[in-house]
Amino acid sequence: MQRLIALVDCNNFYVSCERVFRPDLWDKPVAVLSNNDGILVARSQEVKDLGIRMGAPVFQVRHLVKRHNIQLFSSNYTLYADMSARVMSLLEEFAPDVEVYSIDEAFLDLTGVCHQAPVGYGQRIQKAVQKSTGIPVCIGIGPTKTLAKLANFAAKKWRKQTGGVLDLSDPVRRNKLMNIVPVNEVWGIGGRIAGRLNRLGIHTVSDLASQPVDRIRDPFNVAVARTVMELNGIPCLELEAIAPDKQEIVCSRSFGRRVTEYRELSEALAEFGSRAAEKLRKQNSAAGHISVFIRTNPFNPGEPQYQRSAGRALPAATQDTRVIVSEAHRLLKQLFRAGYRYQKCGIQLNHIQPAAAPLGQMDLFDGIPSGHSDSSKLMQTLDQINRRYPKGISIAATGFDQTWRTQAERLSKRYTTDWNELANAQC
Amino acid sequence: MPNIPDCCLFPSLFPKALALPLFTGKVAAGFPSPADDYVEKTLDLNELLIQKPAATFFVRAQGESMLGAGIHPNDILVVDRSLEAVSGKIVICALNGELAVKRLKQMAGQWFLASENPYYADIPLHEELELVIWGVVTSVIHPL
Repeated sequence: MQRLIALVDCNNFYVSCERVFRPDLWDKPVAVLSNNDGILVARSQEVKDLGIRMGAPVFQVRHLVKRHNIQLFSSNYTLYADMSARVMSLLEEFAPDVEVYSIDEAFLDLTGVCHQAPVGYGQRIQKAVQKSTGIPVCIGIGPTKTLAKLANFAAKKWRKQTGGVLDLSDPVRRNKLMNIVPVNEVWGIGGRIAGRLNRLGIHTVSDLASQPVDRIRDPFNVAVARTVMELNGIPCLELEAIAPDKQEIVCSRSFGRRVTEYRELSEALAEFGSRAAEKLRKQNSAAGHISVFIRTNPFNPGEPQYQRSAGRALPAATQDTRVIVSEAHRLLKQLFRAGYRYQKCGIQLNHIQPAAAPLGQMDLFDGIPSGHSDSSKLMQTLDQINRRYPKGISIAATGFDQTWRTQAERLSKRYTTDWNELANAQC
Repeated sequence: MPNIPDCCLFPSLFPKALALPLFTGKVAAGFPSPADDYVEKTLDLNELLIQKPAATFFVRAQGESMLGAGIHPNDILVVDRSLEAVSGKIVICALNGELAVKRLKQMAGQWFLASENPYYADIPLHEELELVIWGVVTSVIHPL
């Protein structure tokens, strides 16, 4: 039986989340800003039509914002993570195997599920997600992950004709499409590799797919060779299984004496976060979810007891100490209550995945063009120094607060996670 | 005096509610295992109120047009987006750019967004009125 993989991808996800609870924004241009309100990381179609690029700094497009009354929002990760969890849980009703690839994308294994009418099935998924959550999605279907991604790209690009669902199982339709799509739109083929391919006369996806695999493997690498095979309908990439429970990293400690100050907990978490991130880097993984817990001593019932944890999905899987520590601090802010004598705190990292996954929209946060590679170089240096000088360098938890403090002046309400921030409905 | 046999049982005139813990483990027709005999969980409002967690949202009611349905200002509405909005259901809809709470009614072929308060008029639906159903209200949480 031929494999059938679908890539379901939410349209302008952050913007779509903001719009669910704001019918007044359904026909207005909307954009969502990065961590420190610096650049645009999500744009509605109206904003795209104005020619404003992904990653555009806000100050650069100030005049357009004013002239067209573009509604700007700070990133409301709590909301997006919750909405994402809802979408993913719905998708799990449609396929026996779902790989959550990012906060707004998932691969579904549809092998054996809907061979009679894959497009019709895709449309059912689309309708179900839209109805239940208000989030519009596009669906690409094909015999391999790479083709599913390509189909998704085309479904989105030619949304009017496709309705947002496209199946590339048929080789004739596949070739027609591959003839007109440039090679840099292929999953895993970034700007540099595309440039090299172009210089070899390989311009369209067709050109790439028709290359003999050995002619690609040597000058490039095995990943590109696998891509060529996948473009030809030969599956090389499996759906990643959800990390089994033992693939979690926990870093925690009981305190020698009772701790009462926020500062002390925050310093401890900074240390745990660094250690946990180091573990991640050592095993070449990144974490997609973080939780923090703090508690008093349950074996001392005479004392007032407090035991809470909070967690959230990270917008992009990371192994970067700075990100993990700043997220841990953000969670601690939500959890900390004065007046308790804390005995233990800790960090747990879940959704561990391989660090070398091809990057999508997350590349452009905070204006760091190749953020991921920069941070991994820094992390490598950090690890090297710490290996030679065990107490060498640690992240100054207060020092980095400056750079990573979220400005978030235009944060919407946490409609789905905070009782005080529910959307209002007028009777 | 009718002859009432000794083994008859009569319902109590003053019945008291008895909260029963939920026991897991099937009681087999044979010997129940001692390991089965433990309480797994307490009664959970989430189970009672939420059928489809992924599609269920909470929304806060404002205004008084739905008092007759038991919806007061500041009540929390449990909204299930996966349900079909049919005549008779109380729905959240997008009306004039905001979320509104009304009862959907169809009478003699004409659709209305009906209020539940004599001081508020029903809104007849027509072509130009852009109406989008946001979800169906399944419960209202009203603190006393």
